[in-house]
Amino acid sequence: MRTKQMLLAFLTLFLCSSLMFAGTVSGNVTYTGTPDRQKPIDMGKEPSCAKQHAKPVTFESVVTGPKNALENVVVYVSSGAPDEGQVPAQAVTFEQKGCQYLPHVMVMHTNQELKITNEDQATHNIHPLAKVNREWNKSQAPGAAPIVEKFAREEFISVKCNVHPWMHGYFAVLKTSHYDVSKGAGDFKLPNLPPGKYTITAWHEEYGTQTADVTITGNETKNVNFTFKATAN
Amino acid sequence: MPEQPIRKQDPVVNKSFALPYVVSMLILMATLFWALWDEDYGQRPWKAFQQEWKQRYGAFLKTAESKSAESEKNVEQGAEYQQIDQAYQQAYQAAKPHRDELQKQILDLNGKILAVQNVFVDKRAYVNALTYQIETETGASGKESKRKKLEDYKKETWPVEYPDGHREKYDFSQLVEKYNALKDERTKLSAELGEVLKPVTEASTKVSAYINQQMVDLTPVQIDGLKRKTTEWEPKIVQINVADANIVDRCESCHMGVREPLMLTAAAMAHQGKKPDEYARAFTSHPEPGLLKTHDPEKFGCSPCHQGNGRATTSVEKAHGTYEHWLWPLFPKENTEAGCQTCHAADMLLVSNDVGSTISAGKDLYRQRGCLGCHRYEGYDKEPEELNSVSQEIKQLEGEKIQNIKQAAYLMKQADAAETNEEAVRLNDRAVALKVANSKANARIAQLERQTKSLLQDVKKVGPNLKDVRLKLNKNWIPVWLKKPTDFRPTTRMPNFRLNDGQIKAISAYLWQSALTDPQPQHKPGDAAHGKELFETRGCLACHSIGEGDEMQGGTFAANLTRVGEKANYDYLVRWVHNARERTRPYCPYEKKDIGPEDYAKKGLPFVFDLQHSKCPNDGHELQVQNMTVMPSLRLSIEDAQDVATFLIAQKKQEPGAYADASFMDDPGLKDQGKRWIRHFGCSGCHEIAGMEEEGRIGTELTFEGSKPIERLDFALFTEAAQRGGKNAEPITNPEDLARLPDGPAQGPWYDHKGFFEHKLSEPNVYDQGKIKSEEEKLRMPNLHLTKEQVRDLTTFMMGSQESALPADYQYRPLDYRRDIQEGWWVVRKYNCMGCHQFIPGQQTVLMEMKRYQDAQELLPPKLLTEGARVDPEWLLRFLTNPALNDKDTNRNGVRNYLQVHMPTFSFSENELGKLVRFFQALSRQPFPYIPEQVPMLTAKETEMARSLFSSTAAPCLTCHATGDAQHDKTAVAPNLLLVRGRLKPDWVERWIIDPQAISPGTSMPSDLFRRENNRWVFAGPTPPSFQGYDKDHTKLLVDYMFQLTPEEQRRVIAAKGRPQASTQPSRSIKQGASSSDPHHRAASAGGSQ
Repeated sequence: MRTKQMLLAFLTLFLCSSLMFAGTVSGNVTYTGTPDRQKPIDMGKEPSCAKQHAKPVTFESVVTGPKNALENVVVYVSSGAPDEGQVPAQAVTFEQKGCQYLPHVMVMHTNQELKITNEDQATHNIHPLAKVNREWNKSQAPGAAPIVEKFAREEFISVKCNVHPWMHGYFAVLKTSHYDVSKGAGDFKLPNLPPGKYTITAWHEEYGTQTADVTITGNETKNVNFTFKATAN
Repeated sequence: MPEQPIRKQDPVVNKSFALPYVVSMLILMATLFWALWDEDYGQRPWKAFQQEWKQRYGAFLKTAESKSAESEKNVEQGAEYQQIDQAYQQAYQAAKPHRDELQKQILDLNGKILAVQNVFVDKRAYVNALTYQIETETGASGKESKRKKLEDYKKETWPVEYPDGHREKYDFSQLVEKYNALKDERTKLSAELGEVLKPVTEASTKVSAYINQQMVDLTPVQIDGLKRKTTEWEPKIVQINVADANIVDRCESCHMGVREPLMLTAAAMAHQGKKPDEYARAFTSHPEPGLLKTHDPEKFGCSPCHQGNGRATTSVEKAHGTYEHWLWPLFPKENTEAGCQTCHAADMLLVSNDVGSTISAGKDLYRQRGCLGCHRYEGYDKEPEELNSVSQEIKQLEGEKIQNIKQAAYLMKQADAAETNEEAVRLNDRAVALKVANSKANARIAQLERQTKSLLQDVKKVGPNLKDVRLKLNKNWIPVWLKKPTDFRPTTRMPNFRLNDGQIKAISAYLWQSALTDPQPQHKPGDAAHGKELFETRGCLACHSIGEGDEMQGGTFAANLTRVGEKANYDYLVRWVHNARERTRPYCPYEKKDIGPEDYAKKGLPFVFDLQHSKCPNDGHELQVQNMTVMPSLRLSIEDAQDVATFLIAQKKQEPGAYADASFMDDPGLKDQGKRWIRHFGCSGCHEIAGMEEEGRIGTELTFEGSKPIERLDFALFTEAAQRGGKNAEPITNPEDLARLPDGPAQGPWYDHKGFFEHKLSEPNVYDQGKIKSEEEKLRMPNLHLTKEQVRDLTTFMMGSQESALPADYQYRPLDYRRDIQEGWWVVRKYNCMGCHQFIPGQQTVLMEMKRYQDAQELLPPKLLTEGARVDPEWLLRFLTNPALNDKDTNRNGVRNYLQVHMPTFSFSENELGKLVRFFQALSRQPFPYIPEQVPMLTAKETEMARSLFSSTAAPCLTCHATGDAQHDKTAVAPNLLLVRGRLKPDWVERWIIDPQAISPGTSMPSDLFRRENNRWVFAGPTPPSFQGYDKDHTKLLVDYMFQLTPEEQRRVIAAKGRPQASTQPSRSIKQGASSSDPHHRAASAGGSQ
């Protein structure tokens, strides 16, 4: 009992001190080559959704920004993360709105609660095509209570709605909360990394994964960039 | 006789024997002690095992118990438990005052009863004694005086002192009354107490039942029982004795954990922190407890499955039978499934959880790789053997018929001349019975003849028909292929025969010269791009593969087509793709020849032969009208077939013209020699070859190969090396063949069945090494170029191929629905149905693994996990006969028209259709024949309700299900609901709409469309206003509606769709959904806004 307490005290001390010397990994994700043009979505099948979109919407398997920026890339600490197994208490929320998934790539920690809401006037079904986690497929009527689920194992799970075939996204289930999803400018940021050796992985649904090794020694910001080669689908 | 003088040197007198005596005594003593020790321990090594077991299992149970207590605690912390427990506490508290009161009253009563009883018993005894005296008294006066005495006695009074101190006096009758009254009262109070305690006991039973139900492992109480059993264990032989089957298995004397109710792993039974030792490995529980449930050890013992010497107890080697004097050593771990084969020879597919894949693969390989082309194996010649027995039966029936006619005539004659009318009538009746018997025989013969036709259709060959080589092949390619087929197509089923050039020349010459030369229709080239698309999406890849190495995609059931363009003739390829079963000429098994147009012309008949025209023009016998291939028709139009063939003919690595000239094939001098070699190598076991249709098999029968004594397996020059083991034990030197050995090159001795089979299968001519033999004497078995796994699978199959010593009823040959399952698997494996369909949960199909379907499982062929419960068997019969469900428009799927993969037409015979339909029914334990359930007629209001729900935006049904509307059906991914009636079973449909994921895991149809409310199923989304006040199951309503759906009604639904229908009121309990705390009011505005 005694030793346990001591250990805990040391651990807290260590964590605090390391937090004081927290480093950051940040950078940009870009692509080379010419990505496939994203096809427009015909929501004619679901008028209640179609009218929510003033501008025509396209598929989102490859979303790009200015200067070859690549969006929707999950950048995370795949090895060396100090928080493996620490499940955040707060749930993440995945919205179905205008017959689109918000966000397109939903990142969560293993066993973290995932809350799925249906903001539409249509019935959706959420069908994560999990391979190592358990696959399920649930219907959610308009106004129905949120579906709450969680996934126990690390996996990138393709998610779709069978009723509206254009609705397609991903659940990224990670063993860490040190992650970011690249935004409009392709930028990402992984703050609060204590000194140590890390492997940073960048995952894109079409272009695969890339990794980089980074060592954080103190209170510093390391720059890591990822470049994906656009491949024809 | 005078006594001889004692010699001076007499050793008896002069020498002391003390030392030898002492030494012998010591030796004798030592021997005695050794004998005692050996008797008790040396001969009983299991005692040491049992000591270890007590210690280790005891320790294990200790930790298990604390873990179990912990999980029990966890269960107790659950809300549900708390609720049940609280109910118990409440019941207890509620009953307590009344209970205490009653118990006190009963206690008081007991004291009173005791007080009365003390006096009463004594007096009653006296009264009884007097009564007896009166009864036995013979004199009348004596009787009278005694009666008087009794009456007086009964009038006496005696004091009774109650526990509270007060006394009362009673005469005898008062005593009786008092005693009975007190006892009656106690009975009444006890009953009342029972009544009061009833809710308490009920609640407490609920509590313990809940714990038992929730605990995954055993409860602490149960574990405590095991612990007691273990500590109290006295070492003794544990044996299973089944006298009828002559099984005596003492395996559990050491393997004590086999049947324990807890899962024991080697790691758990090892000493803490140490690697599992011999004991730990011995103490594990059986890895598949499910198998023990179906194979009760009390009936089956251990050795019938595992082999070994069940009786032996003196050493591990003896018990496992791994010594030279025991014929059936324990099956090695990797070949354990050989044991299944000894009783399950009739099963084509044996799977129970993780067990069965090896033996099932072995059985399948034996069939698919053509082993049975040369080696007979009981049960693998189903079709030809049945054909034989059918023709036997027909012959026998014909004979009986003639006898019956004769006998009837005789009887009638006798009847006419009979002495009495009664006799005449009796004889006439017998004659009539014989006529009826003949009519029955005729009916049977008609059936058998249809069966003959079926069976002729069912007989298939592993390899292609070589009578067509001139029509279909690039001539110059043939000798190259024969040289070493794997050089051209590494994954081919055709084995390497190690032919020399002379043999190749002769064989190809015979094939070429004996082949058919009929003209075939010419085809114009098609569209290769369209052909590629069809090839990749139609379903060809479920059996065929394309691409080599890492590029390869598709199945291994049929040929890899990467280089088909080098060998094939385009026109033939078109015909083949269009309908592979189309024969050039029909074959008459009676005349043993191919029938040509000339034979038909002789009878003035057109040259037309197919399944409907299958009688020989010469002699009326049933013809073989199809190519004996399992390749089905994909119902492609001739143009589509041209496109596919155009794509395929372009698949090549070199030009067909680049093959060296092989004009020697026309040399008539080579023909006879070729025929001889073809016969020598048994080619006609797998191929149809002109003039060699009725050749016998060239190999030895393998049905009982596994029980051949080892001396009869010919290790040739390697007998000694195999026995000795050591450095040079491995005879195979060819690196390709070495790589096939499942455990790598032999390190130790391999002189056993496993070693023999593995070497034979890896390099079939290995036992020729070093021998001097002529070409004719050399081993003929070709190299099947198997993988390690395949060698293991086949070795396991061979090891299990034994003549069982068990009674016949141990053989798994059921006669009920399980027989239908056995026969069904035979057909399912034969046509590779599992390449497209999932039959067993978790089974991967070839298509499932393709990239194309990773995110689009809805475009895969349906899973058939509950097919028998799903469809009406009559419908299934129609569907299997014609999967297009349409006579004219055949280029479609009858049910899932949205799938690019097409269910092909297999042209199943009546025989196989019946087997398949019965198979699916049996798998789902459905009755046969099926009597469809009557669906209640809906009222007009109910119909309106169902229609409004179907057409509401809240119900997504018609977004995915096809409706017959061409525009809509372009995006449909589920069948038209008009197909429900006549195809599906109502109870299944209801289960399906409630939880489709439980029936077809991963299906596009979502779960949670309905929820349970007030003991009925209601739609989970907003329902139309007409549903208000409807208190029946919504699921039942929708199912009944679907079963009454007509095309007109469907049009009404489509017309109504899109109009505002849904109620503005979401169903009540949506708001209080399971895990939600944040209110969703959006639905309030849902319906009307459309």
